[in-house]
Amino acid sequence: MKLNLFSKISIKTLLFFCFFGISLSANENIEEKVKKLTLELRCMTCQNQSVYDSDADFSNDIKNLVKNKFEEGESEYEIKKFLAERYGEYILFRPFFNYNNLFLWGFPFILLTISLFFLIFKTRKK
Amino acid sequence: MSSLIGFLSLIAATGINFVLLSSKIFINFNINKYNTLVRFSSILTFISFFSLMYAYITSDFSNFNVFQNSHTDKPLIYKISGTWGNHEGSMLLWISILSIYGFFFSFTKKIDIELKKLTLLIQSFLHLLFSFFIIFTSNPFLINSVVVTEGLGLNPILQDPGLAIHPPLLYAGYVGYSIIFSLAIASLLNKNNNEEWLYIAKKWSLVSWTCLTGGIALGSYWAYYELGWGGWWFWDPVENISLMPWIAGLALVHSLLMIRGEQVLKRWIIFLSILCFSLSIFGTFLVRSGILTSVHSFAADASRGLFILLIFFIITGFGFLVFLLKKPETSKPITLLFINKFSALIFNNILMIIATLTVLLGTIYPIIVEVLTNKRISVGAPYFNSTVIPIMIPGFLLMSIAPILSWQTNKIRSARNYVIFFILISLIIVIQSYFSKFNTWGIVGLILGSWIIFASLFAVLTSYKLNFNFRFFQKVNPHIAHIGVGIAIVGITFSSVFKNEFTYNIVEGENFKINNTDIVFDKIETTNEKNFQSLRANFLISKNKKVIGNVKAGKNYYPVSKMITTEAGIFHEWFRDVYFILGEQKDNEWLVKVHVNPFVSFIWLGVIIMVYSGLIGVSRR
Amino acid sequence: MNRLILISPLIILFVICLFVLIYLVSGKNPNKPPSALLNKDTPLFKSVSLYDDKTFINNESIKNKKVLINFFASWCTPCKVEHPLIFELANENPDLYILGFNHKDKKEDAKKYLKDDGDPYNFVGIDSDGLIALEFGVFGLPETFLINEDGKIIYKYMGPLTEKIIKDEIESLL
Repeated sequence: MKLNLFSKISIKTLLFFCFFGISLSANENIEEKVKKLTLELRCMTCQNQSVYDSDADFSNDIKNLVKNKFEEGESEYEIKKFLAERYGEYILFRPFFNYNNLFLWGFPFILLTISLFFLIFKTRKK
Repeated sequence: MSSLIGFLSLIAATGINFVLLSSKIFINFNINKYNTLVRFSSILTFISFFSLMYAYITSDFSNFNVFQNSHTDKPLIYKISGTWGNHEGSMLLWISILSIYGFFFSFTKKIDIELKKLTLLIQSFLHLLFSFFIIFTSNPFLINSVVVTEGLGLNPILQDPGLAIHPPLLYAGYVGYSIIFSLAIASLLNKNNNEEWLYIAKKWSLVSWTCLTGGIALGSYWAYYELGWGGWWFWDPVENISLMPWIAGLALVHSLLMIRGEQVLKRWIIFLSILCFSLSIFGTFLVRSGILTSVHSFAADASRGLFILLIFFIITGFGFLVFLLKKPETSKPITLLFINKFSALIFNNILMIIATLTVLLGTIYPIIVEVLTNKRISVGAPYFNSTVIPIMIPGFLLMSIAPILSWQTNKIRSARNYVIFFILISLIIVIQSYFSKFNTWGIVGLILGSWIIFASLFAVLTSYKLNFNFRFFQKVNPHIAHIGVGIAIVGITFSSVFKNEFTYNIVEGENFKINNTDIVFDKIETTNEKNFQSLRANFLISKNKKVIGNVKAGKNYYPVSKMITTEAGIFHEWFRDVYFILGEQKDNEWLVKVHVNPFVSFIWLGVIIMVYSGLIGVSRR
Repeated sequence: MNRLILISPLIILFVICLFVLIYLVSGKNPNKPPSALLNKDTPLFKSVSLYDDKTFINNESIKNKKVLINFFASWCTPCKVEHPLIFELANENPDLYILGFNHKDKKEDAKKYLKDDGDPYNFVGIDSDGLIALEFGVFGLPETFLINEDGKIIYKYMGPLTEKIIKDEIESLL
């Protein structure tokens, strides 16, 4: 069937891009790492602005801190944990993937799976 | 005086709705009485709204609301928009728009009379609930107890032409769903009705979806040039709130399109109709109760929050309860074939609802967690980017092949051409981006966007006879809408993935170079405007030693409210925006941030196309 | 099965309304997130005195004491507002050790401020680069912490203290 050819090719190309993307993202320099992380941190003195985007005093302190910690060789997760211990998880725009937030992260994909099964079930029955 | 007129007409309108509702129990009015009463109460609501507006225009500070939110120095347009620039006024705007919809709906012919009566009745009920809310908790017609000659002023961030018309458009979207809600409930309660109401619902859902699209786009454009953060969408709670009814409405519009395929998912359509309006009220509740932290800060009051929560609970509970108890008779058994337009639409509908529910969960999850554990968490942009976008991607994939699917059969038209075409486009994009800057999301977005654009164009060119009259545009309208989506996807991908940022510490007269553009930091100017002081840095932009334009970026200081707003300067080009933000001054040096945002104009172009095809769609049966 | 699907919107509605109702009624403030450090150990710190750059203070020095830590600065207007209340606290609770951290300030300004308005603190430590504040999760001045004898943070307040806050919330912990 023609459709099969089409879908096979598109899936293959997509997979190829994904792997390519992952292998490229492995080696970033510190500045990019700082940008990536501070984009995911809340500026506590602002209204819903990220640390990266803000010029507030608080944000500049955090930017320096993050930079220092990266230079000392700490990982992104360690820095996030350090900040969350002091300011609460409120500072993280991307909630931790932990027991508490399992429902939050799992929900969309569980819902997707359920509805796919439901659809297949419905079509089979007819 | 105008306050008194306004208040009395609001009371009178409420009274009429009350009479209409109780008439259902005591006397059975005929349809003409219904029409007259609904129109009469609508007109009274308009009078109430316009008398508040009159009080704003004439700066009548004997009205407490005007005193708190207006100032004689303001230009006329902001005096007018001040009417809805505050909580009380915006709620009055809400019911005025509800009345507009009711007013026009009462002229609908070709509809079962009992169904129409029921719909108008439910509409009156909604009007009554919100009027009570206004009268008891947020009366905009309170009299100022002291005599004053000057008001306190409008929040300067709201003094902007885009934001002046943003709320009415947005509300026109939210409230428009009320008609569909009422129609859907009425169709459940009414015993003998045909499928005529679906066609009426289709029109109204297109109207409100189009208004909502325009409203959201205006708000987001405002955020782009006014907040000065360089972005245009922040997954801010208030933005999410408007996005939910938008996506759900999109699903509704698409479900209603399926009527053409002669298989009707009545139950699903009714569910979506209830959902859309519920989400709209829930959004109003979340914004007005002030339980969210947001860039768009609103004055908040807990007792009002409780009242709207109650209204939300009553309306949504009523809707879903009727839905549970009165099942619509399924007209025909539905046959889902493996791949045709119909099942593609159903699949996309499911994806859209999952996306809506994900946004809903992300928005209220912090509330749930704080109640349970007394800890506060944030659910921000990274969460939504990594959940909502992957869910939408299969939907975009389906969109790109939609034109070759047929309604009823499994056959796929001219598939080979499409496959070749798709592979060709993908190759071009991959090669092109391999030589510039590689990014996975960028590739996926670009490929999907251009697939959608080309597939829809291809369909227009091959399947229809080109003659440029109105009927032609009506016929190709769905494809045009999808082209708009494709263009917007390309714009969104480019502007978020391939943007560049530069920071400079420079003094007046210095210049810098971005790509092939020379930019001179010309000078700082300060001027006194009518209601603010402005500070602007002038940048001269030149290419090949020829000045092609200038941009002013800076800040405004509003003495009345002692607030400073950032005024970003944007140099628009077709394929990129150069976006200037003036930062702090240190000695002689100014901090200047420059963002180069490629293809932002495509986002707005895509939205304009979507709004256009929404309007064309209304005219089509 | 079908009935379950039909009833689920109502269940979701109930759950959402319930949570939101509790949130509204419990009077939580969206602008003041609850502290993450509550009931945790005092973060490690070491600071030099404002008046004498040979005297230091660290976690050891406040062991087995009830301590009130107050972050302040001379440039912070709300700090000025709460300043007399700290005197009151000091007078009424002689056993309470009051530790002030001078946040991102110039030494001379801080000294002048404490001379003009009086110095209620048992010790004033310098936090010129804001690193101590960072350890304590402080992001807006003033902020006040209460630490018990075991070195655990038992109370935190953001913003200027008021008579009411001291009476209702702090005094019961002293």
